[in-house]
Amino acid sequence: MNTIASQFTQSASSRLQSEYADAQRDFSNAPQLNLAPTIELPPISQPTEFLRAHTDDASNPDCKIKIAHGTTTLAFRFQGGIVVAVDSRATAGNWIASQTVNKVIRINPFLLGTMAGGAADCQYWETWLGTQCRLHELREKERISVAAASKILGNLVYQYKGMGLSMGTMVCGYTKKEGPAIYYVDSDGTRMKGDLFCVGSGQTFAYGVLDSEYKWDLSVEEALYLGKRSILAATHRDAYSGGSINLYHVTENGWIYHGNHNVGDIFYDIKEKEQSFNNVDA
Amino acid sequence: MAGLSFDNYQRNQYICAKGHAQPKATSTGTTIVGCKFNGGVVIAADTRATAGNIVADKNCEKLHRLAPRIWCAGAGTAADTEMVTQLIALNLELHGMWNDRQPRVITALTMLKQHLFKYQGHLGAYLICAGVDPTGAHLMSVQAHGSTDIGEYQSLGSGSLAAMAVLETKWKPNMTRDEAVLLCAEAIESGIWNDLGSGSNVDVCVMEVGKDAELLRNYLTPNVRAPKERSYKFPRGTTAILRESIREIVDVEETVIEFNKPEAMEVDA
Amino acid sequence: MSDPSSINGGCAVAMVGKDCIAIACDLRLGNQSLSLANNFEKVFPFGDKTFLGLTGLASDVLTLKEDFRLKHNLYKLREEREIEPETLANLVSSSLYERRFGPYFVGPIVAGLHSKTNKPFICGFDLIGCIDFAKDFIVSGTASDQLYGMCESLYEPDLEPEDLFETISQALLNAVDRDALSGWGAVVYIVTKDKVVKRVLRTRQD
Repeated sequence: MNTIASQFTQSASSRLQSEYADAQRDFSNAPQLNLAPTIELPPISQPTEFLRAHTDDASNPDCKIKIAHGTTTLAFRFQGGIVVAVDSRATAGNWIASQTVNKVIRINPFLLGTMAGGAADCQYWETWLGTQCRLHELREKERISVAAASKILGNLVYQYKGMGLSMGTMVCGYTKKEGPAIYYVDSDGTRMKGDLFCVGSGQTFAYGVLDSEYKWDLSVEEALYLGKRSILAATHRDAYSGGSINLYHVTENGWIYHGNHNVGDIFYDIKEKEQSFNNVDA
Repeated sequence: MAGLSFDNYQRNQYICAKGHAQPKATSTGTTIVGCKFNGGVVIAADTRATAGNIVADKNCEKLHRLAPRIWCAGAGTAADTEMVTQLIALNLELHGMWNDRQPRVITALTMLKQHLFKYQGHLGAYLICAGVDPTGAHLMSVQAHGSTDIGEYQSLGSGSLAAMAVLETKWKPNMTRDEAVLLCAEAIESGIWNDLGSGSNVDVCVMEVGKDAELLRNYLTPNVRAPKERSYKFPRGTTAILRESIREIVDVEETVIEFNKPEAMEVDA
Repeated sequence: MSDPSSINGGCAVAMVGKDCIAIACDLRLGNQSLSLANNFEKVFPFGDKTFLGLTGLASDVLTLKEDFRLKHNLYKLREEREIEPETLANLVSSSLYERRFGPYFVGPIVAGLHSKTNKPFICGFDLIGCIDFAKDFIVSGTASDQLYGMCESLYEPDLEPEDLFETISQALLNAVDRDALSGWGAVVYIVTKDKVVKRVLRTRQD
């Protein structure tokens, strides 16, 4: 009796133990950035596969957990600084979960981060980036450069590569030595410096408008309008973008918020003024 | 022309293979019961139709007429129960005319089971078939694959367990008509309350030997919607419109032209 | 997202009023997230006072629209009269069930007034032709969950045509604003015994 019992308890516990030890080993081997908090991994052998099977509706359309996706965001450099414009729609599958999402994260008075992809991922890691930037300021007695800030985020997401993070973000800011700078960082680990980026499901539509009208010598007013107009075009054609447009202008004195513009209100005004959107009846 | 068309079958298989799922058909996610009594038989059903987790119809009819004195309660895929019973009703009528006899319940059941067996369970019809004929009162059930069952009391559908619990406790032999109606209604109510796929009202059909069947539509209505406390009517002009076009429908007057009567017809001779 | 009936998007709704009916649909035609056209009407007239709404896979919507136009014309030639809404409903039902094992990916709704008695009639179907007879309202399409919610709360019986127009319009407009695949314009038909009013609504364009 006892032999039988011990036989089974033994094997069961040893199997559990070995699995636990495996998990521990994987966990400790995971590249760790000492700045980053550690995130609990589910106690299963393949957390990434598990996550993908249950939350990634591209690989499994019937997944039960739909992470909020779908966005259009843009940022571009010009003579007067940087313009940042984003939409405000959050969707879970075809369901519009919200029309009033804030997709620009104010990391500090000189730094902005845009949000595309998993809303929670962006929100969490960009606020975390804010604390890292503040710590840098306290340590070094000077504001962090945009390059450094974006690199912290880039390194962080690279640690988690392939584990299900989903974010496409632009870190925008101004420092004395860099001037206005935009860095594109995504969850694949890409980090690029550039003058003009559009990110999200509606990016192509925004690029279309932006590329045709963009000039370095744009006035501030023109640039803000172009940012707004590009997002408007994207909200029009992309089912997963919409709601309202949030506008920012980044200068050497930090960012300035240029308001929230409801697509329902401004669409017909702009259409009439520009004599554009002629596919739509009025 | 006659029969089913499989034209789109290959196309749909292809679409499925591309990673698209087949859309859900309305299912009756039902409680249906039947019970015999002295001199007759009674069947009953709830009235909820569902599509996934949405209640598609709050007061649908799940009792189908096969013949004036043979009725059928259906569970499973709503379109299948409806169409199969319509087809069998039609064939039963022809059968009755051909043989110059009133159709029997066993005939209906046999036709149903042969049809369903032919389709190997792909027609999702689960039926309780009951009625009176010259050989007496009968109560039978048939499943989608074609198997059948005969009994004093039956229940089918997603709420069949809840209903059967009531039937097993309270059924007794040689009940009166009223006792049987009450028992069936109570069994359905048990399905309405305890099964999420069943709900709304109770429909009952009583068939007594030598009498026409009596359908008691909405015999019980335990889920009447409370009237709204306040009206949500919008003031006229709330909705902005871009264009309006109006089409007047003109009245067409009909005049009957009388043709000449045959006797008035002139024939050259 | 994954099934064929929500590739193109779109929705329709019908309601019964006092001696009148209303039927409405959005105008969007898309390919998944990409909106392609804003003039894709999903409600088609069959005679004076009978209407058929078709949502789902756009190619099947067009195929069935033409199929029913053919059958309607043959019916008119044979019977020398207009088809009644009840008759059209049974025609739709049996046409869909004919393809029980290879269905069209559609969600039809029928609404109309009887040609002689002007009695209102509405009904809806699943993709294999199961009829849902309703006394109040019928919804269909990718925003059907949202439409159920709007209609259950906004609908009240015996509305006059003008009030019914506001109710059905607001139900549709607010439902499609919560569905990524519907919207981009809307049309409403209000059918009374002596006239049919078609109104194109001003909607959000995102």
